[in-house]
Amino acid sequence: MPPSNPLPPKENALFKRILRCYEHKQYKNGLKFAKQILSNPKYAEHGETLAMKGLTLNCLGRKEEAYEYVRRGLRNDLKSPVCWHVYGLLQRSDKKYDEAIKCYRNALKWEKENIQILRDLSLLQIQMRDLEGYKDTRYQLFMLRPTQRASWIGFAMSYHLLGDYEMANSILDAFRTHQMKGPYDYEHSELLLYQNMVLAESGQYDRALQHLHKFQSQILDKLSVKETSGEYYLKLKRFKEAEVVYEDLLKRNPENVMYYEKLIEAKQLSDPDEKVAFYDVYKKEYPKAIAPRRLQLTEAQSQPVFERLVDEYLRHGLHKGIPPLFVDIRSLYEDQSKSDTIEKLVLQYIENLTKTGTFGPEPSEVKQPASALLWAYYYAAQHFDYKKDTDRALHYIDAAIEHTPTLIELFIVKGRIYKHAGDPVSAYQWVEEAQAMDTADRYVNSKCARYMLRAGHVKRAEDMCAKFTREGVPATENLNEMQCMWFQTEAAAAYQRLQQWGEALKKAHEVDRHFSEIMEDQFDFHSYCMRKMTLRSYVGLLRLEDVLRSHPFYFRCARAAISVYLRLHTHPLQDAPQTAEPDTENLAPSELKKLRNKQRKAKRKAEQESALAAQVQVKREQHHKARQQQEQGDPEAPQLDELVPDKLARAEDPLEQALKFLQPLRTLAADRIDTHLMAFEIYYRKEKPLLMLQSIKRAWRLDSGHHHLHECLVRFQRWLDESLASLHPDVATVLTTETQPMVAGRSCVQMAEQWVSGAARTSQAAALRLLQFYSLGCVEVLDSLRDGDFGPCETEISSYMEACSAKFPYALAFKPPAPAPAAEEDGADDAPPAKDPVAN
Amino acid sequence: MNIRCARPSDLMNMQHCNLLCLPENYQMKYYFYHGLSWPQLSYVAEDEKGHIVGYVLAKMEEDGEDNRHGHITSLAVKRSHRRLGLAQKLMNQASLAMVECFQAKYVSLHVRKSNRAALNLYTNSLGFKILEIEPKYYADGEDAYSMMRDLSAFAAETKTDTQPSENMEIKSESAIISQC
Repeated sequence: MPPSNPLPPKENALFKRILRCYEHKQYKNGLKFAKQILSNPKYAEHGETLAMKGLTLNCLGRKEEAYEYVRRGLRNDLKSPVCWHVYGLLQRSDKKYDEAIKCYRNALKWEKENIQILRDLSLLQIQMRDLEGYKDTRYQLFMLRPTQRASWIGFAMSYHLLGDYEMANSILDAFRTHQMKGPYDYEHSELLLYQNMVLAESGQYDRALQHLHKFQSQILDKLSVKETSGEYYLKLKRFKEAEVVYEDLLKRNPENVMYYEKLIEAKQLSDPDEKVAFYDVYKKEYPKAIAPRRLQLTEAQSQPVFERLVDEYLRHGLHKGIPPLFVDIRSLYEDQSKSDTIEKLVLQYIENLTKTGTFGPEPSEVKQPASALLWAYYYAAQHFDYKKDTDRALHYIDAAIEHTPTLIELFIVKGRIYKHAGDPVSAYQWVEEAQAMDTADRYVNSKCARYMLRAGHVKRAEDMCAKFTREGVPATENLNEMQCMWFQTEAAAAYQRLQQWGEALKKAHEVDRHFSEIMEDQFDFHSYCMRKMTLRSYVGLLRLEDVLRSHPFYFRCARAAISVYLRLHTHPLQDAPQTAEPDTENLAPSELKKLRNKQRKAKRKAEQESALAAQVQVKREQHHKARQQQEQGDPEAPQLDELVPDKLARAEDPLEQALKFLQPLRTLAADRIDTHLMAFEIYYRKEKPLLMLQSIKRAWRLDSGHHHLHECLVRFQRWLDESLASLHPDVATVLTTETQPMVAGRSCVQMAEQWVSGAARTSQAAALRLLQFYSLGCVEVLDSLRDGDFGPCETEISSYMEACSAKFPYALAFKPPAPAPAAEEDGADDAPPAKDPVAN
Repeated sequence: MNIRCARPSDLMNMQHCNLLCLPENYQMKYYFYHGLSWPQLSYVAEDEKGHIVGYVLAKMEEDGEDNRHGHITSLAVKRSHRRLGLAQKLMNQASLAMVECFQAKYVSLHVRKSNRAALNLYTNSLGFKILEIEPKYYADGEDAYSMMRDLSAFAAETKTDTQPSENMEIKSESAIISQC
C-alpha cells in the first residue's frame, strides 16, 4: 500500500538512503538526508521521514527527541505501515514489548504481507510467550516464503510449543524429505535430534526409537543417540536392550551417576545386597572411577558390609590425602548407624596412626605416610562439626594445625566450625588467615568475603573482593556488572542484619535486575538458534526462562526485600535528622574551640572524600563510554533508574513493592511454605481477608504443623474476631467455612495454648531437627524482643540472653554487646577489636 | 560427584561457580552463547545435591575447514573439590565431543603464566603443549601461555567406533606427550 503522502522521485531516493543508512548504522548521514527532505516546506511534515528521523535519533541515544519525531510522523500518516513499524521498533528498544506488538499489528493492517514486520512480530510473540499469536505469524511467514529453511522450522516449532506434536512432526518430516539435500552436516544432525525430541515428548517412545534407529548414521551427536535410546528402551520395558546401551555409555563416562542408576533399573535390581554386588563389578572394570565405589556406600545396608566398604573407602582417601573426603560422603550421615560406624573407624585410625603409624592395630598393617594422621584429624574435625560438637571439632582441627600449620584447608574448616557455633567474627578471622596464605586463589578470597559479610563487615568484604575485580572501578560495580549474585544476596542479608534497610533493598533490586536482564538475553537467540539449528537447546532455554525466578538466588533476594519492606511498613523511617547548627551561644569558649576544631576536621575529611568520589565518577564515565562504544549494537538500550538506598528505604508503597518481589514466587516457589507465609504477612497488613485465607490455606496444605504458620493462623483468627462483622456477609461466610477445618472451633487463645503445649510434646526426632537451627531461632526471638514487639521488657531480654548463652557458649549473639561492627561505616578504622587468632 | 553434559538450566550455576573460582568472568549471555551454539561441548561436575562443583565451558573456533579446533573458554573446579581428578575428566569428555560432533583436530586454551597448578594439569595429565606466549593477554597485564592438545587419538577411536575406555585414553595421551 502506497503511503498517503508519496514523495517525488528525488525525495524518494533520499528517503531510501535514510533507510540504508539506518541498516548500516550510519546514523549521522541518515539525519543529513532526512534534513534534506524536511527542509523542503512541501515535505516538512512528511510522516515517514519524520518517523525515520526519530528512529535514527534513538540510535544516537536521543530518546526524548526520538519519541517526539516518531509520534509526530505517525500523527501525520496514520495509515503508513512504515510509521507504525518504526513506532514498534522504538517501543521494542525500550523493552515495551506489549506496546510494540500493538504497533506491529497496526502496521500489518496496512501492509499484510510485509515479511520484515511479520518476522519482528514473531520474535516479540515468542519473547512474550504469546504462543497462539506466534503460531499464526509463523503460518503467514511460511505461506509467504515456503522455500526458506527458517519458515519451516519456525512453523514446526510453533506447533511443538503448543503441544501439537503430530503437526510439528509432520512439518519437520515434509521439510526433511523435500528441502534437506545433503551433505549430512551438524545442522542436519541437530534437526533430526530435534524431531526426535518432538516424538518423545508426544509420548510415542516406540516411534521415537524407530526414528532414532533409522537416522542413526546421519547423527553426529552419538552421546545423545545413546542416552535417548537408553531412555526409550527403559520406558518400553525392553530391559535387555537398555542394559547394553548403558553398559556402553559407562565405557564412555564411568563417572556418570545416572548411567549406574539406569543400569540398575534395566537389570531390575532392588535388593541392597544385589546392588552392592552390582557395583563390585564396575569397581573392577573401572578401577580409576570414583562413582561406583561411592555409590556402593549409599546402597550398602547391612552394618558389617557397610563397615567393610567404608573402611576401604576412608583408608584410600586418607592415604592419598583427598581433601574433599568428608564433603564427598557427608550425605551418608543421614543414616545414624552409618555415621556411628564412620566415627568409630576414624577414631580408631587416629589412635593407631598416633601409636604405630598404621590404620589398624594388627602388626601386618602397612605403615602410612605422616600425612595420613593429618587427614584423619581434618576428617574428624569436620565430622564433629557436622554433629554440632564444637569442642571436639576444635580439638581435632587444632591437632591438625599443629601437625601441619601451612595447610589452607585447615583454617577454612576452623572458620566454618566457628560459623556453625554462632561466632561469625572468629569465623571470618580464621578464613582471613587462610586467605592470606594464598592470595592468588579466588575461591578462598570469595569464601573470606562471604564470611566477612556474615559478620557484618560489608566494607571489608568489598575490599577483599576488590583483589579480583577490575582495577579503576569500585568492586561493587564490577561485581554488579558481572552479575555476581552470591555477593549481592549475601550483602543484602548483611545490610538487613545491620538495619541499613536502603542498602539491603538496593542489593535485592540489583539481583532482581539481573534476572530481568537474563530474561532479555533470550531475545537474540530466537532467530540465532533457528539459523544454528540447535533447537533442542533452544527449547531448553525457553523452558529455563519460563521458570527463571525459581532460582534460589531470586528466592533469597526476594525474601530479604519482602521482609525489609514489611519492616518499613510497620516501622517507617523517621525523616532524615536535621543537621542543625549546635547552639553555640551558650558554650564555654574552650568548648567552642573544640567544636570548631571538630567541624574543621570533618569538613576537610568531607572534601577529601568528595574529591575521591569525583575521581571515581570520572573513571566510571570513561568506563561507560568505552563500553558503549564497544556495544554499538545496542546503544539505545533503556537507561534504568539509579538505585538510591535512601529513596528505596522511603518508598511510599512498601507493601506494593513487597508484592512485586512476591509475585514470581507464588507460581515458581509455590512448594515453599515461606512463600505463602510472606504472602500472608503482606495481605494481613493490606487487610485483604480472602487473600490472607488463600495464603494460609496454601501453607496449611504444605505443612500444617509449621510453627510460623500457627502464629499466622492465630493472628488471622484474631483479625476475623474483630473484623468479620464489618465484612460483606458472603465474604464472611466463605471465611468462616474455609477456616473451620484449621481453627476447629477454638478461640485464638485456645489455639495458642494448644500449640505451645503441643510443641512441648513433639517427637524427639523433630526436636533434634529443631535443635540444628535452634541458635538461629533464638536470635530471631531476641530480635523480636528488642524490636519491642512485646512492649518494653529489658529484664526479660537479659535473662533470655543468659539462658541462650549457657546453651550456645560460642554464639556471639547472646554475649553482652561488644563494640558494634556497624561502626565501620562512619569510622576510619572499621576493625572491631581484633582477637589475636593465634592466641585463641 | 557426577559428570555429565551441561544443559541450559546449568548455565547460571556454572556462572556462579566461575565467579567463585576465577578472575575471568562473563555475563550470562556469553554462557547462553556457548550452550546454544555448541550444546555438546560443555560439561559439569555436580555433587549429590545437584550443586555445580566444577565445569568446562567450551566452543569451536570455526576459522576454515582444515583448521577446525575446539577452544576451552573456561575451566574451574572448586577448591573444596580438588584432587578428585574432576578437571581431567571434564576435559576428556569435552574433547571427545569436539571430535565427534565437529571433527576437531585439536583443542586450544590459554592459561596464566603464574598458574602453576593448571599448567601442571594441562601438560602432565592432559597432554597439552605450549604453543607460544601471548604477552599481556589478561586484563591485569599478565602473560598467557597459548596451549594446544592434538585430538587425533580421539578421532581414531571414534572411527573404529569402540568407545575409549579409560586405559585407552591414557595410552593415547602418553603417545601425544612422547610426540612433543
